Amino acid sequence: MPTIFSRSTQRQTPEPQTTEPAFSSPAVPLDAATPQPEAQISSDPGKHAFVSRASMESPYFPTWCPGCGNFGIWTAFKNALVELEIPEEKLVIVYGVGCNGNMADFNRVYGFHALHGRAIPNAVAIKLANHRLKVVIVSGDGDTYGEGLNHLISAMRGNHDVTMLVHDNQIYGLTTGQTSPTTEKGTKTKSTPAGAPETPVNPLGLALNSDATFIARGFAGNIKHLTQLIKAAILHPGFSLVDMFQPCFTFNKVNTYHYFKEKIYNLQDQGFQTNNKVLAWEKTFEHDKLPIGIFYADPHSTPFHATLAQLQSGPLVHQSIEQVQMNKALKGYS
Amino acid sequence: MALHWKVAGRAGEGIDVTGIMFGKICLRHGMNVFSYREYPSLIRGGHNTHQVHAGFEEISAQQKHLDVLIALNEEGISFHLDEINQDSIVLCEAHQDGYDLEQFRHTGAKFFDVPMTNISRQETGHFLSQNVVGLAMSVWILGLDIEVLSQVITDQFQQKGQHVIEMNVRALHQGYQYAKEQLPQLKEPQPKKENSQILASGNQAVALGALSAGVQYFSAYPMTPTTDILQALASYQENYPLVVKHAEDEISAINQAIGASYAGVRAMTASATGGYALMVEATSLAGVMETPLVIVVGQRPGPATGLPTWTCQSDLQFILSAGHGEIPRVILSPGTAQEHFELTRTAFYLAEKYHLVVFVLSDKMSLESYMSMPRPAETYQNKRLSFALDPLPADDSYRRFEVTEEGYSPRSVPGQPHGLNVTTSYEHDEFGYATETAAMTKTMNEKRHRKMKAVLPDLPRAELIGPEHAKLTLVGWGSTQLALAEVLRRMPAGAVNIIYLPCLWPFPCDAFFHYAQQAEKLIIIEGNLTGQLALLIRQETGIQAHHHIRRYDGRPFYAEELIIELEALIE
Repeated sequence: MPTIFSRSTQRQTPEPQTTEPAFSSPAVPLDAATPQPEAQISSDPGKHAFVSRASMESPYFPTWCPGCGNFGIWTAFKNALVELEIPEEKLVIVYGVGCNGNMADFNRVYGFHALHGRAIPNAVAIKLANHRLKVVIVSGDGDTYGEGLNHLISAMRGNHDVTMLVHDNQIYGLTTGQTSPTTEKGTKTKSTPAGAPETPVNPLGLALNSDATFIARGFAGNIKHLTQLIKAAILHPGFSLVDMFQPCFTFNKVNTYHYFKEKIYNLQDQGFQTNNKVLAWEKTFEHDKLPIGIFYADPHSTPFHATLAQLQSGPLVHQSIEQVQMNKALKGYS
Repeated sequence: MALHWKVAGRAGEGIDVTGIMFGKICLRHGMNVFSYREYPSLIRGGHNTHQVHAGFEEISAQQKHLDVLIALNEEGISFHLDEINQDSIVLCEAHQDGYDLEQFRHTGAKFFDVPMTNISRQETGHFLSQNVVGLAMSVWILGLDIEVLSQVITDQFQQKGQHVIEMNVRALHQGYQYAKEQLPQLKEPQPKKENSQILASGNQAVALGALSAGVQYFSAYPMTPTTDILQALASYQENYPLVVKHAEDEISAINQAIGASYAGVRAMTASATGGYALMVEATSLAGVMETPLVIVVGQRPGPATGLPTWTCQSDLQFILSAGHGEIPRVILSPGTAQEHFELTRTAFYLAEKYHLVVFVLSDKMSLESYMSMPRPAETYQNKRLSFALDPLPADDSYRRFEVTEEGYSPRSVPGQPHGLNVTTSYEHDEFGYATETAAMTKTMNEKRHRKMKAVLPDLPRAELIGPEHAKLTLVGWGSTQLALAEVLRRMPAGAVNIIYLPCLWPFPCDAFFHYAQQAEKLIIIEGNLTGQLALLIRQETGIQAHHHIRRYDGRPFYAEELIIELEALIE
């Protein structure tokens, strides 16, 4: 297979500036190093004009534990993407590190598998570099509410137009069962044998406090509802947070499917209005019953990128830098 | 003709802006300029200085001895006794500030108690223009043109309105008149020369270099000595397709830069080494993702918060190895403002072409000193490099991390049809899917490291500066090269030459070996305690220097002091 370099590189035109020496030789293909993957992706271009179940199929099947809440979330996520009819090249999914982030290998999309806790800064900059893209962050409770909490607050304050899907299983699964920022106080885990010492983070309250403009909670066991939530979140112009209850069969024996089925109720079924921060605030503190649905949404919020004058003429990545005129920058230097 | 001028006083008295204005006066007379600042990590009240060395000959660093010292308080003299002698003029306000000049008479300097504040009050109603009056008096003493000062003031206060300009111009004329009547003239008036140069700090030169190279995303967290890069680039945003983001922390800053670069724009971050320490994990991320990234690192004395506003070169070994795992990198080490401009441009070129992390490693001395440099060109061309063909084949055969001989592979960007891939922090196969197989792990590590060979022809080259043969061959890097250039000019012909190292990694082994072999005595001069460049040279070439000169007290090297040490080595 030939190496696919862009024409401008292959042309090997020497640079006019002396500080940029001539190009080195063009790429020479070696023997293909990657064995053919087991699953073949359809080569019919018509089949993946939009994100579809077929277009998203990667050669790898999930390695999650049987019964993991990740399956339900994955299904709802894919349903939502398919229903939204996003051109496949216009979607970027940024993954954190955790069981959920391993989804990176199971989705055939433009995927960016970040460092633990750092998916948010990657995602907001991807959006600012090309605001025509849909950017979705797939992450977990440890990733988002622990390691990267500073980034979460900052992204919410900035109303960056990215969607954050937090797999909240209230435990560290990939590292086999330690306390997480959303573990109930007193829960015994491998890292807290005497019981988790801290009060759990209230993610939705935190989001309200940080002026997030779309705040919702879903449940991995209610795929139909979660699909609609994710769709609404992606369509929202501005920062959207979807916290998702996700049973972890293997390491969390408390917050099970049964536990959630007993406690969950749908806010929208009760006619809850999504435009009142104070009422939403109260709902975030309910523990005996657990509300899911949209807590708060401001559909008229202005996303961060729309506030930048230099993006009015189009995405940064489409604005040429091939010729830079220096005169405007050089004022005041002599 | 060279002149050495300094203003010293309390922080908050406009010391810096006064120094920059004096630098511009000299620049507009056609001179070369170097101006150096010292200040403590305080907003008000600490002792601040700004010192200008200017002249028609080549100039690259400040010197200790002063022609004119403007002392805005007693410490403005008492802290600088070793910098003045019978050839110096000191302008001060001893009577008004309540101290006795007799205690300083032993220096031999000529002290003049002049009414800077009074003239300022009289013309502007405020003491703040005392600097302008001091500048006007300096202009007389040094034989400069008062009209040039008047123009500099007008430009400087443009934003503040016509009224402020007029008051200050009145103050400067009063000051000049006073000086003409009361003060001696130290230098003959000089004819002015055309000067197309600009006066920029290392930071500003980095910002201009990045802009010329088409930087479109810059994210950083403020920290001395690189804050001015953030400020300069932020100010360009209104006229350029550039987004500058003051991030919530350094970790976010570098991860944002990586995200933007992944999305296809040229991106950069910058910090002091302490701030960069927080970016180390993400450096490794850029390495494994093969995402182009330019990182500017400004050294200041550590450990930890250290001496925030002083200089050192104690982080070379840190930057050489920063990032877990083995990642290829390039480290460029500019000294002059012009090098900061050029090497930042080069950094973007190398990063994009080879999908590399490229460091521009500098320090407070260079980044916060103002230097005259050739005016950048009107227009810069930037060819985009190493992107995947567009359109890509529709059969989804594209492999983002295709194993190639030169180590880098054509890069698709989101938005491009048929370029889908996973760009991941995990080890991965050619498509980007995570893998843990032994064979692929080995293959990918080797692929990435082949870039270190591929990049060699494009690196700035080591050079021998000065005569081919000399009694001493000096080696320094970064800002130390500024002092070494002064040493070369001031010592007798044939005494010293210099091995110039604009790129420290990959280390230019062959060139260095060649020059070092011809050296009679090899002297390594650097701003750290443990000899970090010496270690690198020994590691890469096996060469051990005859002598080392090291400084690690937060202060830069001075040519005058180095010459004394070097003369002793010649005998």
